[in-house]
Amino acid sequence: MHTFYFEVLLDERMAQIFPLIGRFFKQELRNSNALFSLGLYLIGITYLIYLLGGNTAADSTWNTLLWVVVFFAAVTQSSRSFELESQDYFYYYQTVAGPGPTIIAKLIFNASYMALLSLVSWLLFSFFYGNSVYDPGVFALGLLLGSIGFSVVLTLTNGIASRTAGNATLSTILAIPLMFPVLKLTSTINVQAMVGVAFEDVLPLLGSLGALDIAIGLLAYLLFPYLWQD
Amino acid sequence: MKGRVYKFAGVALVLYSLIYGLLTSIPELPIIEQSIRNLFYHVSMWFTMVAMMAGSFGNAIAYLSKENLQRDTRSVSLAEVGMLFAGLGLVTGMMWAKFTWGAWWTNDPKLNGSAITVLIYLAYFVLRNAMDDERKRARISAVYNIFAFVMMIVFIGILPRMTDSLHPGNGGNPGFNSYDLDNRLRMVFYPAVLGWILIGTWIASLRYRIRKLQA
Repeated sequence: MHTFYFEVLLDERMAQIFPLIGRFFKQELRNSNALFSLGLYLIGITYLIYLLGGNTAADSTWNTLLWVVVFFAAVTQSSRSFELESQDYFYYYQTVAGPGPTIIAKLIFNASYMALLSLVSWLLFSFFYGNSVYDPGVFALGLLLGSIGFSVVLTLTNGIASRTAGNATLSTILAIPLMFPVLKLTSTINVQAMVGVAFEDVLPLLGSLGALDIAIGLLAYLLFPYLWQD
Repeated sequence: MKGRVYKFAGVALVLYSLIYGLLTSIPELPIIEQSIRNLFYHVSMWFTMVAMMAGSFGNAIAYLSKENLQRDTRSVSLAEVGMLFAGLGLVTGMMWAKFTWGAWWTNDPKLNGSAITVLIYLAYFVLRNAMDDERKRARISAVYNIFAFVMMIVFIGILPRMTDSLHPGNGGNPGFNSYDLDNRLRMVFYPAVLGWILIGTWIASLRYRIRKLQA
């Protein structure tokens, strides 16, 4: 187990990870129905907020609404992460590539998918309400690190929930309190990027969010194999 | 007799902190005044909760490495007692907040941290109830327990230090910074924490034995 984590850094493991990520993406694209429903959800919910509130929202409200939309998109997207390919598939990947690379590939796939979703949400929000972000670079960085944290937590809780007897809401119940640290840090960073703060002042926050992402990613990687040990 | 020493010690320390906590002289600070005595009754609850959760976390790790079901029973018993102390910490804290801040609840990093902690462990019990097979339940809930404990430490131990807070012990409040080094308070506070941890361990061992009899 312990030596395993170092082995992953080796090239041959990397060579196993990338084809898996490619496969996860291909699978997602093939399942175009799910992809469209997610896109429709994003457009629908953004327009609904626009209908109700117009484009007069204050910065903090803008940020809160964006995160609520991203949050539910994340929950919806990740709820399928162990459902789409049945557990047999996951066992198959594990036997072919080993549990470590499979989990890393799944985490990277979910994280990049999440990052894409949050960027699309930001674009939609900018389209409807105007872009009220002063520092897009910091905002994007916060969004990116936040979505990585989101996806790690959600991947783990979905893995846990998929091992219980088909309780659909369980994953969300488990994930919501665990997501708060990431959510809190990210929304603080984003509010600062909206009003515009010196980069040196946001840097500690970005650094701690990055460190938190790495820490929970490692933890999820170490814990994941125990979920499939029957 | 040997196994009972810690119980006597726990009762003695808690009694001492309850009684002497009301009698001891305190530093005179504005706003906080006599309510500073809540340090003995409120803060010790949270310290005990963290200790219980740490015990639960340790037993979860032990379960994953040895697959001994007794470890799982210990883990859940300690988490239950931790929740009890979290409840007591919330009640004592809310009473203090009402008299010092004028509100039962405020949007403060420490308060948010405690609320999230309670939610995290309530979810842990929900998760346990969702599985019937005891080995599977033990393993899956151990995985969640380990992840949850780390997130809890991040939320109650690291994040509040990065933001301003009205809660004593943060920012420019007449809180821990000025009375932290006051030996009169230390003399009651540390025994209180130790005493409550011993009492908590005692309750957890009773829960453990009840669960073993039920099994």
